[in-house]
Amino acid sequence: MKMYDVIIIGGGSAGLAAALEINKFRKSKILLLERDAELGGILLQCIHNGFGLKVFKEELTGPEYAERFIDELHEKGIEYKLNSMVIKLHPDKRVEYANIEEGFVTIQAKAVILTMGCYERSAGAIGLPGNRPSGVMTAGAAQKYLNIDGYLVGKNVFILGSGDIGLIMARRMILEGANVLGVAEILPFSGGLKRNIVQCLDDYDIPLYLSHTVTEIKGESKISSVVISKVKDFVPIPGTEIEFEVDALLLSVGLIPENGLSEACGIDMDSRTKGPIVNESYQTNIDGIFACGNVLHVHDLVDFVTEESRRAGQAVVKYLENQLEKSDNHIEMISKDGVSYIVPQQVNVNNINDKLELFLRVQKEYRDVNLVVRSNDTIIKTIRKKHMAPAEMEQIKLKVEDFDSVIGSISISVEERQ
Amino acid sequence: MYDVIIIGAGISGATIARELSRYDLKTIILDKEYDVATEATMANSAIIHSGHDPLPGTLKAKFNILGNRMYKQMSTELDIPFMECGGMVLATNKEEHILIEELYARGIENGLQSHELQMLNREDILLLEPNLSDHVISGLNLPTTAVTFPWEAAIANIENAMDNGVELALENKVVKIEKNDYFTVTTNKDVYKGRIVINATGIFGSDVANLISKATFETKARRGEYYVLDKDVRVANRVLYPAPSEKGKGVIITPQYHGNTLLGPTSEFVDFEDVSKTTASGLEYIKTNSQKLVKNIPFHKIVRSFAGGRATSSNGDFIIEESDVKGFINVCGIESPGLTAAPAIAVYVVGEIVGNILKLIKKEDFSPLRKPVVRTFELSNDELNELFKEDKRYSKMICRCEKVTEGEIVDSINRNCGARSIVGVKNRSRAGSGRCQGGFCQSEVINILARELNIDKQQVVYSKTGSEILIGKTKGEK
Ligand SMILES: Cc1cc2nc3c(=O)[nH]c(=O)nc-3n(C[C@H](O)[C@H](O)[C@H](O)COP(=O)(O)OP(=O)(O)OC[C@H]3O[C@@H](n4cnc5c(N)ncnc54)[C@H](O)[C@@H]3O)c2cc1C
Ligand SMILES: Cc1cc2nc3c(=O)[nH]c(=O)nc-3n(C[C@H](O)[C@H](O)[C@H](O)COP(=O)(O)OP(=O)(O)OC[C@H]3O[C@@H](n4cnc5c(N)ncnc54)[C@H](O)[C@@H]3O)c2cc1C
Repeated sequence: MKMYDVIIIGGGSAGLAAALEINKFRKSKILLLERDAELGGILLQCIHNGFGLKVFKEELTGPEYAERFIDELHEKGIEYKLNSMVIKLHPDKRVEYANIEEGFVTIQAKAVILTMGCYERSAGAIGLPGNRPSGVMTAGAAQKYLNIDGYLVGKNVFILGSGDIGLIMARRMILEGANVLGVAEILPFSGGLKRNIVQCLDDYDIPLYLSHTVTEIKGESKISSVVISKVKDFVPIPGTEIEFEVDALLLSVGLIPENGLSEACGIDMDSRTKGPIVNESYQTNIDGIFACGNVLHVHDLVDFVTEESRRAGQAVVKYLENQLEKSDNHIEMISKDGVSYIVPQQVNVNNINDKLELFLRVQKEYRDVNLVVRSNDTIIKTIRKKHMAPAEMEQIKLKVEDFDSVIGSISISVEERQ
Repeated sequence: MYDVIIIGAGISGATIARELSRYDLKTIILDKEYDVATEATMANSAIIHSGHDPLPGTLKAKFNILGNRMYKQMSTELDIPFMECGGMVLATNKEEHILIEELYARGIENGLQSHELQMLNREDILLLEPNLSDHVISGLNLPTTAVTFPWEAAIANIENAMDNGVELALENKVVKIEKNDYFTVTTNKDVYKGRIVINATGIFGSDVANLISKATFETKARRGEYYVLDKDVRVANRVLYPAPSEKGKGVIITPQYHGNTLLGPTSEFVDFEDVSKTTASGLEYIKTNSQKLVKNIPFHKIVRSFAGGRATSSNGDFIIEESDVKGFINVCGIESPGLTAAPAIAVYVVGEIVGNILKLIKKEDFSPLRKPVVRTFELSNDELNELFKEDKRYSKMICRCEKVTEGEIVDSINRNCGARSIVGVKNRSRAGSGRCQGGFCQSEVINILARELNIDKQQVVYSKTGSEILIGKTKGEK
């Protein structure tokens, strides 16, 4: 059986950044396994601008952003395999993959990093009522047909869900000459970034129907129309139906971390992020298995993925050097009022260099509030926030000193300003 | 001139076709749809019932018990998934306990042996079903209950029938039937002549029967809706039925061969065009009622919902008889337990009805075996590497959720009764049935279909004519 120091599963922005970071600090035998025919992950189909403002201080397209990392990977001679899908991960860090050159192969690693990204919630998962004609698909699938394969999937399009991919596809379809009749969102606020609402909908006069959902899909072989209705507490209100004649309905109703491998391996999951529970070093409950990027929690900005994956890479270096302290004695991070999740979920202070970066999301839209970090009743930190929304991930930095007085757990909540 | 024309390529038509292919007869199956097994056979609970439920003396009772005993052999010969998981009817209160005791007596009267059903108390059941809800007090254990993969059962029967000479004509909707010395069956496309016509058209049974003479029965559509849970969660180890109540059979929890769990069905009479539509209220009913028998159902693991229509006949039983027009045989009103009963119905229809009209001569070269199907997830890595040596495409993963290789997809297209659409590939190989529902692999499946069928990608259909996915090239492409 072939041996590696680190096996990285998934060659998207997370896998690429982690591989490069490990290589930077420690000469290691690294293998990056990617299922697709190319490295880059979801970035490859995001041909719009808006990547890299933080990491490179310039606006790049998805493929351009990915290319910088792929070029560096080549330069550094880091080993990777394409068209190679990992089919099983064992808790002892054996990894099974398959490809057309080698067949089914098992290899062993000292450390594994999970960077499998996420998949889109499907029409099936949300139980859309009505027929099952063709022309109903996720926005990401339509994006792939359009940007990678060069095909259009509809001329009169409606979009359900205001996630970023849906918004970006609305603009993209218009540019290809299609009509985009509207976007319906079941929540009273959008699921996408503000800048995408402005640049992709407002600029093209595409109506956004908040508190609306699809209540019927019509059509025999191909979708012929969708009916949307206004909702109150998620229940459609009779009499508010609007029907649109369409030949495609695109869904942008959420991304779900792709954790089939992780769950089968026995990794503990967080029911809110749908990703593994990790500690300050991005290590899961299984020793030597780490996770970062969209597989850990859904990110809206690739720059955050890159930074998070670099930190995970640094932690893996420490792990390989036996410098990560093992201890069950950790601080729990608790999401209180208004906070839907925090990553990492557990913290061992002794493994933090100088500061810890936390990501969190809030449950609804807030204006002029405070994010308050507490341990028991002691306030550790208060951050003033002009505006927060579930679509926009928040980042908090805690210094090592901040943990001096902490016992047991830390909670974070959204609070009114006094 | 055909000896036998079968109308309808559901499980009833499929098993009859295979049974006929044992004999020296010229047989054709006609179906109005783009693929076989698209109606009731596509949307049901997949349960091979033990025979405890139908009323004694009915055709349902008779063919249920006979069919259950034939399934294992049929599944082995045709390589159809078959899971002998057992089943149990559960009671949550005194009245229901009395009801399941009645079911016990009914099962015995229907001919079940004492080892085929037992009453169990809560403690015994908990050992078998740790996820049981707190409400359950007792149960009727039915070890011969099993689970099949319904459309593969129909596809496999038709494939084997075709390997043995039967013809299949799809997209042929029967619109007219006349009889002189023989039958003339007219479809939207063609005219077929035959000595015998078998009407196995599910919910359309009485409509098609009425094309030749006034039917003595009426078939109505009773819709059932379902949720499907992802395959990595085990809610129950065996089929769990609620005790039947006035309101119907209630929501059944059914583990599936590939690891998924079905929750459903509902029961509601609807117009024919609405049988496969899911509704918000139906799905809500399932969520509420499925929690009666087990706890901790992970509803966030739902991957799909679907609906199908049972062909309920006006006399409440199966109708399996030659009509007043000689040679016109109705196999109608085949609602549950029709999937279970199908192989037994086929033997009866061919042996007792067709055999009385035509002379049945056994074919010497009949082969009961279907070429085995590769299912990657069933094989060890060593076995997979053996396959890989023969054909590299068996190591190229296309569907990552269900682990389906290109080899399996190509095979599903190139058999008799092979896939011609994206849904056809999905139903045969499972590519696209997992949690992402084809989000990642559909474009790859389109490429493979186009290549194997030698058509342009824009001609590849989703499910039927007119359901193409790619409708044009982008501005940059020519
Ligand atoms: C449509 C869309 C638009 C976006 N727009 C922006 C934007 O404008 N600006 C911005 O900053 N950010 C944007 N983002 C966010 C950002 O691009 C993503 O969050 C980031 O690229 C995710 O990186 P990742 O490596 O975690 O996942 P991915 O890029 O999804 O990579 C995961 C990789 O793992 C592989 N993989 C999965 N399972 C296996 C397996 N079993 N074996 C082998 N390989 C496997 C996959 O093939 C894939 O290549 C957008 C995201 C999307 C989806
Ligand atoms: C919700 C539900 C749950 C069920 N659960 C179970 C179960 O767990 N166990 C069990 O044993 N049974 C179950 N059943 C019953 C079982 O599914 C049916 O008995 C069985 O599938 C019926 O098969 P069929 O071939 O008679 O009909 P179908 O599968 O409906 O096939 C009829 C075929 O006839 C074709 N057709 C119709 N009209 C024409 C025409 N004019 N010209 C050409 N072709 C035509 C149709 O296209 C169709 O392909 C269930 C049924 C439903 C709906």
